[in-house]
Amino acid sequence: MMKNFKFLTLAFLCIGFFSCSNDDDATPELLPVNSETVLNLHAPQNGGQGQPVSGAFTKFNFATGEITTSETDWDIAFRGTSIIVNGGTSLGTTDEPERTGNGAAYIADGTMNSVTEVTIGNFIQDSETRYAIASGSGNGWYTYAGPPTHLIQPTPGKILVIKTHDERYAKVEILSYYKDAPANPDAFADETPYFTFNYVYQPNSNITTF
Amino acid sequence: MSLNKNNISIYFLILTVQILTAQSSETSKDSIQFEALNDVIITATRTIRQLSSLPLPASIISKKDLKAINAVRLSDILNEQTGLITVADFGGGEGIQMQGLDAAYTLILVDGVPLIGRSAGTLDLNRITVGNIKQIEIIKGSSSSLYGNEALGGVINIITETPKYGIKGNVQQRAASFGTFDTRASIGYKNDRLSLSGFVNRYSSNGYNLSENTSTNTVEPFENYTISSKASYAFSAATVASFSGRIFTQKQEYIASESLQGESNINEWNVHSKLKHHFNERWKSSLEFYATSYSATEFLDDITTNSTFSDADFEQLMLRPELRTAFEASEKTSFIGGIGYVYETLDRTYFDEKPRFKSPYAYVQYDGNPLKKLNLIVGARFDNHNKYASQFSPKLAIRYDFTPKLAVKSSVGYGFKAPDFRQLYFNFTNATVGYTVLGYNAVADAIAQLESEGQIANQIVPTSAFSDELKPESSLSINVGVDYKPIKSLSFQLNFFRNTIDDLIDTRIIANKTNGQNVFSYTNVNEVYTQGLEFSSNWKITENLKFSGGYQLLFAKDIAAEKAFENGQVFARESPSSPSFQLQKEDYFGLYNRSRHSANGKLFYNFPAWNLDTNIRATYRSKYGIADTNGNNYLDRYDNFVSGYAIWDFAINKKFYEKYTLGFGIDNLFDFTDPQNISNIAGRIVYGNLTIQF
Repeated sequence: MMKNFKFLTLAFLCIGFFSCSNDDDATPELLPVNSETVLNLHAPQNGGQGQPVSGAFTKFNFATGEITTSETDWDIAFRGTSIIVNGGTSLGTTDEPERTGNGAAYIADGTMNSVTEVTIGNFIQDSETRYAIASGSGNGWYTYAGPPTHLIQPTPGKILVIKTHDERYAKVEILSYYKDAPANPDAFADETPYFTFNYVYQPNSNITTF
Repeated sequence: MSLNKNNISIYFLILTVQILTAQSSETSKDSIQFEALNDVIITATRTIRQLSSLPLPASIISKKDLKAINAVRLSDILNEQTGLITVADFGGGEGIQMQGLDAAYTLILVDGVPLIGRSAGTLDLNRITVGNIKQIEIIKGSSSSLYGNEALGGVINIITETPKYGIKGNVQQRAASFGTFDTRASIGYKNDRLSLSGFVNRYSSNGYNLSENTSTNTVEPFENYTISSKASYAFSAATVASFSGRIFTQKQEYIASESLQGESNINEWNVHSKLKHHFNERWKSSLEFYATSYSATEFLDDITTNSTFSDADFEQLMLRPELRTAFEASEKTSFIGGIGYVYETLDRTYFDEKPRFKSPYAYVQYDGNPLKKLNLIVGARFDNHNKYASQFSPKLAIRYDFTPKLAVKSSVGYGFKAPDFRQLYFNFTNATVGYTVLGYNAVADAIAQLESEGQIANQIVPTSAFSDELKPESSLSINVGVDYKPIKSLSFQLNFFRNTIDDLIDTRIIANKTNGQNVFSYTNVNEVYTQGLEFSSNWKITENLKFSGGYQLLFAKDIAAEKAFENGQVFARESPSSPSFQLQKEDYFGLYNRSRHSANGKLFYNFPAWNLDTNIRATYRSKYGIADTNGNNYLDRYDNFVSGYAIWDFAINKKFYEKYTLGFGIDNLFDFTDPQNISNIAGRIVYGNLTIQF
């Protein structure tokens, strides 16, 4: 019995040792995966409520973690409740940016902790008929409460899995549509649309886990 | 005997039926003389039956009860009954929730014929004055075997007053808080052959405002009138003709904002004529014809520009002839059957067509005692319909009297509610927000229209999915109960219930519009159940002191939602902007607007020496949810709930000089309100009324 135990321990130690040295030799050092929060990304739109919508989208780049005005180096962009990706074709609304990258997205059910793997087959791109992140209450990332509160709230358990314009992956959880992400938003008093969201960006290419 | 059998089959083949006036034989059946034995109920079996011998969960509210609490509208009294909760509707109306089933699922009858006018599904109980009511009968559990459509959760039948010999009448004036006035006058005449009665009621209020918004009120000022009359004439001891009519008209201010102001009007009438004939001791028939119309119109004018902003109307008509025959095979065995035809139309703004519903129906019922202590009711009804699948609704009820003090009863029944006109024919686009709601049958044309106008961005549900008929909502209801009366002055009733509803009609998104909004339509989706227990007790503590109390435990849940929680597909957040986490099965609360616990207690006291009676009553309901507040579409423990509350009422009535009664009372003694969540509780109401009898 004791002998067996010793042998196993030794075996594990060896495996550990060799595998470590293996990694060091074969693979370049990976960039760290970080969890970030973006507060109050302002994404105004004109029109809406039955009228044609227009206005520039607010574009975001995961690699820099910043808003960008670049026409090519952006990953996702926001306008009102709409979120678009830099991949596919435009729905054709006024002021919608050209898709120049290979971006795509899908919505996973779960929490930021439980969505740990990218399912490549689920990715879709924006098209003439729909956005990859579907618009409308209950279809995509938010739920409109209707009367009497009229609140627009991110649907719990919806994680946006994003393929960036340069084919990296990110996962995003929208937390609030109201300025300063108040704990108890008031649709009549708090300003919109100000996106607050958590995201995890996988900066290393070809790695589909977070 | 065989002759008799032939008779039965022949008569049921031609599907004739009867009204049974077996009161004398029924009341003599049971020899234990309790006061309750005098209570007879006709709604449960469409024959006159003792309440205390029924195999179904049923109750009666007597005129005495209505007077004791100085009730004005039907909602006042129903809200105090065990297991009944009045629920406010968007339009300001109040409906009744029974055994946890929504207000749309309880059939409301006046003298056995249905009221119509459910523009948004709920029949507003405030439309009905209690001024001329003799008693209110409540049957819980599916009763479609006798009443067909809408009797899915149960039936409430309002029995109006019939005149007594001679000329008798009364006048009542009432004044109450919120500038509310109620005036009623009734007069009746009866001799051996003829009976005549008339009733007039005026009810008005300044309304009330619970919100801080000063340009609109929670309930706007209104004024309504009810006029009704009844006449009956006995051609002979065996043949009686009767006729009754009722008119209800209401005018109410309709204010949407400072600049948008208008008026809403309701006009309703019904006529009911009936011919009853006793062929002999055993065979009785009645032929009746019922017609009713409900029309509601409302408009809003923009007073800044002097133009019409909106104008909507709703005009429903129902005609219903019915022939009923009853056969009393023996003292304890009766058969009843009926055939009838319902014709219904609705003319409504937002409808592209004027739909017609045609529905012939037939029903039969056996009520008998195969064993001395066993009462059995077996019945079934068949409803044909031109717009949806035919419905067959059976029912079985059994009661076994172990001893005169203890009885066990059980009933199983099928109930259904047909898709209403709105669910089939609506074509409505919200002018300010831009979403569209389409009735099931209106989808194909309306989608094509929207598509040709370039308004459809993406169709989610193909039009072909609407080629089948929308199915009626149906329910299986099971009730098992015990009646126990240990001593003459004390009684208990306990009842377990479970209603399983299939094919619940709900809305779903069928297309996205180019304006970012959605197109909704109706579909049969969910399966829900409501289950729980009801307990009620009456105790005559002394000759002059009486207590009654009741409690209901309720679980009302959506089966698909339960599964979603079990499978870990539902998430929530602690606060609206914190990260989400997975919910467990026990986090699911159930359907909206359902309280787990509700209870009532009432204490009545008589001072015979002073000709005075007084009472204090309390009703309680525990917390409930009215909306999903955390965005996951389910009501879970992390949502915001409406807090539980209790309402206390007090009333006192004194009779003097024989003919005069002075009443005083305070409803909602502690001035409870919840402006945010409860629109139908105005606050404390102090009232006084004077009644003169002659």
